[in-house]
Amino acid sequence: MASEDTQIRINGLSFDIEGKTLLHNTNLSLNGDGITVFLGANGAGKTIFLKLLTGLLTPCSGSITFEGGNISIKTRAFVSQEPVILRRTVLKNMLFVLEKITSEKSTLAKELLSLMGLDTKEHQNALTLSAGEKQRLCLARAIITDPEILLLDEPTANIEPNSTTLIEKYLIQKVRSSRKIFFVTHDINQARRLADEIVFIHTGRVIEHSSAKNFFENPKTREARKYISGKIN
Amino acid sequence: MNDISEAFVSSLGLILFLDAELLEIILLSFRITFYAVLISSILGIPLGAFLASTHFKFRNTVVSILFGMMGLPPVVVGLFVYLIFSRSGSLGWMGLLYSPTVMIIAQVILILPIVCCLTFQIIESLHTRYHEFFRSYRIAKLKSVIAYIVDSRFELTTVVLAGIGRSISEVGAIIIVGGNIDHITRVMTTAIALETSKGNLDLALGLGIILLTTAIVLNGFILFLRGKYLKTSGSTI
Repeated sequence: MASEDTQIRINGLSFDIEGKTLLHNTNLSLNGDGITVFLGANGAGKTIFLKLLTGLLTPCSGSITFEGGNISIKTRAFVSQEPVILRRTVLKNMLFVLEKITSEKSTLAKELLSLMGLDTKEHQNALTLSAGEKQRLCLARAIITDPEILLLDEPTANIEPNSTTLIEKYLIQKVRSSRKIFFVTHDINQARRLADEIVFIHTGRVIEHSSAKNFFENPKTREARKYISGKIN
Repeated sequence: MNDISEAFVSSLGLILFLDAELLEIILLSFRITFYAVLISSILGIPLGAFLASTHFKFRNTVVSILFGMMGLPPVVVGLFVYLIFSRSGSLGWMGLLYSPTVMIIAQVILILPIVCCLTFQIIESLHTRYHEFFRSYRIAKLKSVIAYIVDSRFELTTVVLAGIGRSISEVGAIIIVGGNIDHITRVMTTAIALETSKGNLDLALGLGIILLTTAIVLNGFILFLRGKYLKTSGSTI
């Protein structure tokens, strides 16, 4: 489990593609627990940052190190904005990500589906679920791998409000205490509801990093103030 | 015109009364097609899935060659296989020339690139959706290739049916390597060619009707599967 002693250090991290820098020389030290929200306008570089943390992208320079804990690449789970659903039943989608399927894991899968309100649909073709149900399935599938870090890329961007509420409630009540969560969003209200810590990204640069309380009460930069007031979308 | 209509009626008689010669030719055609498509599918589907989901140094070259092989002229393949399996050829000692086995080998050479390339196209589009998910969960290569095949099963059925269509209607290669020997290597297409040249239109037309019916049934089955897939999945790839 990620603990308060764990620190995630990011040193000189940058990412370029076809000569264009999408993330500029970033230095940060992030808490090993709670929910860190990457906030910023569309195209700011939030998803790039998250994918670098996940290991899906390789940085052009710099490094990400986990100190004081036992977090490794094997203990991260990523949920993308567009749910990736395999063409099989809901339960089989859950079990697919496991290296070994045990009776305990099968029971856990059913419990997680129940928590996500999908218990009556476990034998249904997962492709026939609604967008919100698909995203809830993706979250449950990520949790069953027992990750130390959960990386969520705008998981509620395209789904109905009741699924958004269910996912947020689940993250706050069941996940936050036991796992580190990185959550990408451009929704300020959602960031207010979820965040313990905010990383504000603007045009590929981390320009503010503070506790959620500080960020929303005393934003230090002009861009952050404009974003909070809705002048940058 | 009368000759044609008489031949047509006569051919229907051969089909309805299950003429022994006709039946033997049909069964051999189906047997050769079955093994050729089975071998091509066992080799071609995993190879296509692997190529679609893997990046290595000469991948594009391999894929280009395979796509080029989709249009192999059957007579050239027949000649190539003939030279290899003829007495003086490198595999002549096997004594397979003019046997159903060598006909299957020739058909596999023709069908394998088709099965492989069509599989590649289907799975490449699935790969763009799945690869990030597989990478983020560190899914093993073998498991991911199997998942691509399982999740493309409806589309891959149409690939197999395309292979069957190609195989059962092929004549150029198998007439060279099989020799069109009565009771041994005579299949529907080679028999049609022979019987037409002899003026025996009854048998030629009877076989033609069977071939045509097979093609229509296969295409109908493809459409049925496609409809079933769209109905059950609720989405397209």
